[in-house]
Amino acid sequence: MSQRDVDRFERVVLPHLDDAYTLARYLVRDEHDAQDLVQDAVLRALRYFDGYRDGDARAWLLAIVRNCCMTWLRQHRDASKVLSFDSGSLSLADPGETDTRAIQRSERAALARALDALPDEFREVIVLREIQELSYKEISDVVGVPIGTVMSRLARGRKRLASALGLDAKEAS
Amino acid sequence: MRCAECTELLSAYMDEELTRDEQQEVHEHLTTCAECSREEQALALTSRRIKENFMRHSTPDVLKARIRNALAQDDAFTPATPISARTSRVWPRWSTLAAAGLVVAVVSSTITATLVRRSTAGSTLAGAIVDSHIRSLMPGHLTDVVSTDQHQVIPWFNGRVDLSPAVPNLDSTGFLLTGGRIDYIDGRAVPVVTYKRRQHVINVYARRAEGPTTSATNESRNGFHMIEWQSGGLDYWAVSDLNSAELEQFIALFKRG
Repeated sequence: MSQRDVDRFERVVLPHLDDAYTLARYLVRDEHDAQDLVQDAVLRALRYFDGYRDGDARAWLLAIVRNCCMTWLRQHRDASKVLSFDSGSLSLADPGETDTRAIQRSERAALARALDALPDEFREVIVLREIQELSYKEISDVVGVPIGTVMSRLARGRKRLASALGLDAKEAS
Repeated sequence: MRCAECTELLSAYMDEELTRDEQQEVHEHLTTCAECSREEQALALTSRRIKENFMRHSTPDVLKARIRNALAQDDAFTPATPISARTSRVWPRWSTLAAAGLVVAVVSSTITATLVRRSTAGSTLAGAIVDSHIRSLMPGHLTDVVSTDQHQVIPWFNGRVDLSPAVPNLDSTGFLLTGGRIDYIDGRAVPVVTYKRRQHVINVYARRAEGPTTSATNESRNGFHMIEWQSGGLDYWAVSDLNSAELEQFIALFKRG
């Protein structure tokens, strides 16, 4: 690969590094593993860059990151259950905090646990839609499933989170 | 439209991802059905809560540096070790630890790192050491003397700094000695011994100990873990983006040296 291709890679692909890192953080839920996986994914992307034609570079990179993370999760399924939170989500109670703040904090914790408990294929569509704001078409490209599947996974994922927050009287399915 | 059908489409309706006709049908059903309307509000609130509570992350500087470093190296263009091969080298080692002990160690060190991070955020020496660590990750800055042999690294420091840091050979444990360099930190020339674990760099800084002996401290900044301890009249700092459990394992081996 020539220096020009590397320059083009840096210009086209690297601006989406924050998106790549965000997705990896929420999928593997450990900052160090996320860093390793993103580095690995970026180097893979560089090697496949020949095959990339003009198009949605963000979705293209996210698809590679997503695949690296899913492979990793399959290999570390048992371990990741045990080590599923990282230091970023830990916080200590502040004795001076207001009731509202305390409620927000406990709600945040409940939401984090609920997101954590979602099966990987639900969590990824929730993250891609709610946090990264991708369209259904983009999510379908990243995950590699039809748009109809994206739609039903999102619906089911949201219902489970709503139940976890006590917002949904109906039983989530 | 029946409620069952509406429930199925609600989530996509909120995202405006239905066809125009479907959007219209769901909309009309919601104006007449209180139950589905309540469900829509619950889903919309859930969606808002997720957006409020979960932030997008910024790429840590260390990761940017690692990627730039990798892109600058020629071997970025040859196939990297597949993830499966790389991780399989690590995990068998973990499996030799009792599973329960591992969990306790990782959880407790994570909590320690979090607590200490709060109390020592202002320490300038620690900040200077992390800056030096980040600089060392830039291409060409890691080592002044490149050697995997402790008997070349130790004499190299002689005459360059007025102290002699420990340079244990830990190859058999998977922590590879890669060399040494001298950094200028907080007004002093400081010897740095470098190791590698997989693609993670570990920098070990040594300074003459000042003040009373303290127990090992452990903190975390910008995604790096750093652990300080004292031995043989020297103050040692190890800094790495390795997870803290492996860094602690490294330090235990380094002390045994």
